[in-house]
Amino acid sequence: MSTNPTPTIKLNSFRKGLLTFLEEVGAVTQFAGRFFSQGFKPPYEWREVIQQCYEIGYRSLPLVGITSFIIGLVLTLQSRPTLVEFGAEAWLPAMVGISIIREIGPVITALICAGKIGSGIGAELGSMRVTEQIDAMEVSGTNPFKFIVTTRMWATTLMVPILVILGDGIALYGAYLAVNLKGGISLTLFFHQVFASTEFSDAIPSIIKSYFFGFAIGLVGCFKGYHSKKGTEGVGRSANSAVVVASLLIFIIDLIAVQITELFGLL
Amino acid sequence: MEIATSNGPVIDIRHLKKSFGSNHVLTDFNLSVNKGENVVVLGKSGCGKSVLIKCIVGLLPYDQGSIRLFGKEVSAMSQKELDHFRSRIGFVFQSSALYDSMTVGENLEFPLRHHGKEKTKAETRAIIEETLANVGLSHAIDLMPVELSGGMRKRIGLARALVLKPEIMLYDEPTTGLDPVTGKEISQLMLQMQEKYHTTSIIISHDMNCSRMTANRMTVMINGINYADGTFEQLKSSADANVNSFFEFTAP
Repeated sequence: MSTNPTPTIKLNSFRKGLLTFLEEVGAVTQFAGRFFSQGFKPPYEWREVIQQCYEIGYRSLPLVGITSFIIGLVLTLQSRPTLVEFGAEAWLPAMVGISIIREIGPVITALICAGKIGSGIGAELGSMRVTEQIDAMEVSGTNPFKFIVTTRMWATTLMVPILVILGDGIALYGAYLAVNLKGGISLTLFFHQVFASTEFSDAIPSIIKSYFFGFAIGLVGCFKGYHSKKGTEGVGRSANSAVVVASLLIFIIDLIAVQITELFGLL
Repeated sequence: MEIATSNGPVIDIRHLKKSFGSNHVLTDFNLSVNKGENVVVLGKSGCGKSVLIKCIVGLLPYDQGSIRLFGKEVSAMSQKELDHFRSRIGFVFQSSALYDSMTVGENLEFPLRHHGKEKTKAETRAIIEETLANVGLSHAIDLMPVELSGGMRKRIGLARALVLKPEIMLYDEPTTGLDPVTGKEISQLMLQMQEKYHTTSIIISHDMNCSRMTANRMTVMINGINYADGTFEQLKSSADANVNSFFEFTAP
C-alpha cells in the first residue's frame, strides 16, 4: 500500500504558515515598541505631524463624510419598516442614534480609513523604501523611523477619532433626512430624541476605541511599508496587506472593546 | 588628475567581510583612500560594490574586518557618533533617492534642518541657492522631483549630498542610466565639486568614461576582494583577462 504524503505536506505548510504568522506578530509588536520608545522623545517633528494630520485627517473628510451620510440614510430607511410593523416608529431616531454612535460610526469610519489611509501609508513608505529615500534620510543623519513612522502613527491616532465624531454627526444628519422622507420632524426634535436616549457611556467607549483603531491603521500601514521588499511588486503588496490586516485588526479591537465595555457594565 | 593633498588615509578598509545568508558578498576587501583622492571601484553588477559603500556609511553592518573613517572604527560608533560622522559624508544614490513629496529646495533643506546646525531661514536659503547654483540648477528650487529629467535628478542628488559641505563623497553609479553627453557633464561636475569642496571620494561605476575622467586610482572587485589596483591606464593595459575584460570596449 502506498503512503499518501499529502497530510505531511499540509502539516508542514501549516507549521510554516504559523511560524511566519508568529514571526510577523513579533515583528509588529517590536515595531510598536519602537514607536513608544521613540515617539515621545525629543526632538519632536511637529511640522511633519501637522502635515500628516492635514493629509490623513482633512483629506479623508470628504470620503468619510459621504460614506457616513449614506450609511445614516440607508440604516434609517432599512430600519423604518420593522419599527412601523411594531408601532415603534417614534423610536427610530433613538435606535439609529445608538447604532451609529456606539458601533456603526466608529467601525465604518475606521474601515474607510484603513482603506484610504492604511493603503496610502503602506504604498508611500514602500515606495520610499524601494527608491532608497529611507536610506537617504538615514545617511542625512535623520532617524527615518522617527521622522516618517512616528509622525504618521501620531497623525492616524489623533485624526481617526476626530473623523469618527464628524462622521457620526454627518450620519445622524443623513438619518434625520431619511426620517423626514416619510414624516415631518424638526432637526431639533430629531437630535433631542437621539440625545435623550444616549448617554456618555455610549459615546466615550466608542471614542476610546477609535484611538485604538487609528493606532492600528498607522501601525500596520507603517510596518508594511517600512519593511517593503522586492521593488514595485512589493509596494503593491505592502499597500494591499496594510488594508487587509488593518481591517482585520479593527474588527478584533472592536470585539475586545465590546467585551471590556460589557465588563464595566456600560452596555 | 592631481591629488589635492595626502595626509594619511581618510577611509581605511581592512579585511572586510559581509554575507547575506549563504551569499558571501565581500570576502576580504581592503582599500585605503587618502585625503583628496578619487578612487573608482569597478566590478560586475551584483558583486557587492554598493554593499561596500553602504557598509562605509553604516547603512549595513559588516560581519568582520574594519572600516575606519578619519581613524575611527564605524562599527564601534554610537548612533550619535555615526550621525555626526554622516554629516561629514555625502552619499549620491544610484536612483538619486530624492524625497518625492518635497520640492528641490526642501530636499536640500532636509539635511541642513536635521543636523542640529541652527541657521536662520535666510542663511538656509542662501546655502541652498549657492549649492544649486554650483550644480547649475538655480531655477529648479521650487520644482518637484517628478518634474526633473534623469540628469537633473542626478545633479540635485549631488547638490543634496554637498549641501553640508562634506569631506567624503560616496557615489553609487553616478552616471548609470544617462546618455553619454549627460554622463560626461555629471563626471565633470563631480570633478568641479571636488576641486571646490576638497572632498575625498569613492566612486562606484561601470562607466569607463566616468572612471577615466574622475579616478586617481581604481580597484577592481572580483569575488568580494580587491582583485587589482592601479591607475586607469595601468589596469587598462593589464595582462590579466579578468581585469582587461572591463576595458574591452573603451576608446583607445
